[in-house]
Amino acid sequence: MKRHLTSIFVGLCAATSIFITGCGPKDSTDAVGPSPSTPPQPDKPEIALIMKSLANEFFKTMADGAEAHQTKNSDKYDLIVNGIKNETDLAAQVELVEQMIAQQVDAIVIAPADSKALVPVLKRAQEANVLVVNIDNKLDADILKEAGLSVPFVGPDNRAGAKQVGDALAAKLQKGDKVAIIEGVTTAFNGQQRRLGFEDAMKAAGMKIVSTQSGQWEMDKANNIASAMLSEHQDLKAILCANDSMALGAVAAVNSANKTGKVAVVGFDNISAVKPMLEDGRILATADQYAGQLAAFGIEAALGVLSGDSQPEDQTTAVDLVTKETLSAPAK
Amino acid sequence: MRAAKKLFTDYAGMIGVWLGLVLLFSLLSENFFNTRTLGILANRIPPLTMIAIGMTYVLIIAGIDLSVGSVLGLCGALVGLALVDWQWPILPAALLAMAAGAAVGTINGSISAGLGIPSFIVTLGMLEIARGKAFHLTSSQTKYIGAKIEHLAKPIATLGVSPAFIIAVGTVIIGQILLTRTTFGRYILAIGANETAAHLAGVKTKRCKIMVFAILGLLTGLAAVFYTSRLGSSDPNAGVGLELSAIAAVVVGGTSLMGGQGSVVNSFFGVMIIATLDTGLAQIGVSEPLKRVTTGGVIIAAVVIDSWRKSRTERTT
Repeated sequence: MKRHLTSIFVGLCAATSIFITGCGPKDSTDAVGPSPSTPPQPDKPEIALIMKSLANEFFKTMADGAEAHQTKNSDKYDLIVNGIKNETDLAAQVELVEQMIAQQVDAIVIAPADSKALVPVLKRAQEANVLVVNIDNKLDADILKEAGLSVPFVGPDNRAGAKQVGDALAAKLQKGDKVAIIEGVTTAFNGQQRRLGFEDAMKAAGMKIVSTQSGQWEMDKANNIASAMLSEHQDLKAILCANDSMALGAVAAVNSANKTGKVAVVGFDNISAVKPMLEDGRILATADQYAGQLAAFGIEAALGVLSGDSQPEDQTTAVDLVTKETLSAPAK
Repeated sequence: MRAAKKLFTDYAGMIGVWLGLVLLFSLLSENFFNTRTLGILANRIPPLTMIAIGMTYVLIIAGIDLSVGSVLGLCGALVGLALVDWQWPILPAALLAMAAGAAVGTINGSISAGLGIPSFIVTLGMLEIARGKAFHLTSSQTKYIGAKIEHLAKPIATLGVSPAFIIAVGTVIIGQILLTRTTFGRYILAIGANETAAHLAGVKTKRCKIMVFAILGLLTGLAAVFYTSRLGSSDPNAGVGLELSAIAAVVVGGTSLMGGQGSVVNSFFGVMIIATLDTGLAQIGVSEPLKRVTTGGVIIAAVVIDSWRKSRTERTT
């Protein structure tokens, strides 16, 4: 019996180690060697991509996109991709930046888990002559100024994106209709921007926002909150969710309140699971910020600066509205 | 009469706290005190109820299981795979989830009871493994399932409650009977009170402990089915932090973390209290920080009230 248990334990350890290596730091240097036709480049720059949680579909898509980009451009640079386990685990992300500084990478492209707390360690990176490019979640401008740090931001304007989604919703509502907002983690900059974008659109169209609560980016939390909102505000006409997971939770709440078709739901991110809902109208609109290319944009900006071709400056990437109509339209 | 009185003293504290919350929210919100709110509560509690039943047993044997949230994520991922990718019907998919949950529970129990390692650390490891496997199986993607599973969470017209709710309440009753009216129940209470004494009295303590973890795993698998049916989607992030809600519900229900005593029915009231609080706070629309502070306060207050009431009844009898 004891031996049997030991073997289970050993098996479990093996399974764990497979899992850890499977998701751990991935060094892509050995993915594709330089092809014979290109001359060998002795100082190929090394770029570290530091992500938030790779368990999140959105960030995983971003990281996969970056790795695909590196595979295509393997003669131009090397890539190290790292992510943290939990989106709010700031300390782990700070440690990752420190490790990358110690490894003397040429550039760090980072999606900061917090728009303020990461600033000091990024300053240390810059002092160690590591180029820093900010993607996804924009670092706080005031804190950057205070630290005397200038970091280019390459990414979408979440507020403008959310406003587009809100405008599309407003077009289907009557002036004065009651709406509610389910926002993301309240401390996240992109979450705040999306809430503001929703508010911009709703105010411009004369809607009445009766409740704003945080669903913590999670489907189940959003489902509970949406259920309560629907019960408290019987004449609610729409729920605006700061990401698609929460929109799925809201759709389930609308469904269990027997209000499908009477309460509109919109989201953000365009994850694959919302496609059938866009098609049948349970979700009216979402926004696509091209997750697959976001990290690659940041990497290209870093390469441009490293080669001296461009200046470190902010770049706004595209955010497009996705509705039933755009789904059926031919791809651009 | 004495039995009725005992029933009353056993559950009075919990029911009192719950009614107090209902009253409070009814005063604070115009639309709380109605059947709709009860419907929302009935719709959301089945997953947590299933886990709280199993967690009650685990706490009774002085163990703990931190992996339940992740195991719910893993089993939910399997439900999604089975229904969408493999096109299985609902019943085998549900059985698969329950089997997977029971298997994980058996591993937890075998390592902790078999090798004498604290269940805290074994299940902490399993928390990581199960979540990792859930991400791995789904490629971190949410899967939309839809009508194939949603009916489990839909109220049956004639009864007004969903099949999931009926199964959950039924399991609470069976769980309480198993604990108070069977040899197995007496054994696990004995193990929790004094494991060495139970062992010397001839109880197969290891086997009982492994079974307790397996039961929790099985119930977590079923909880995953209910969770998935309520949202109509399988979400690899499902159940993050759920272990803490489950432990809180069970402890609010008066089960001791030191083992040896507990009640499945009171755990159910614990679930009701936590769910009512969540729903009520969302309905009033209080801010996120205040929600957290209030929830923590109520958990502590409920435990304090319950222990005060218990010490009073002990003195009077």
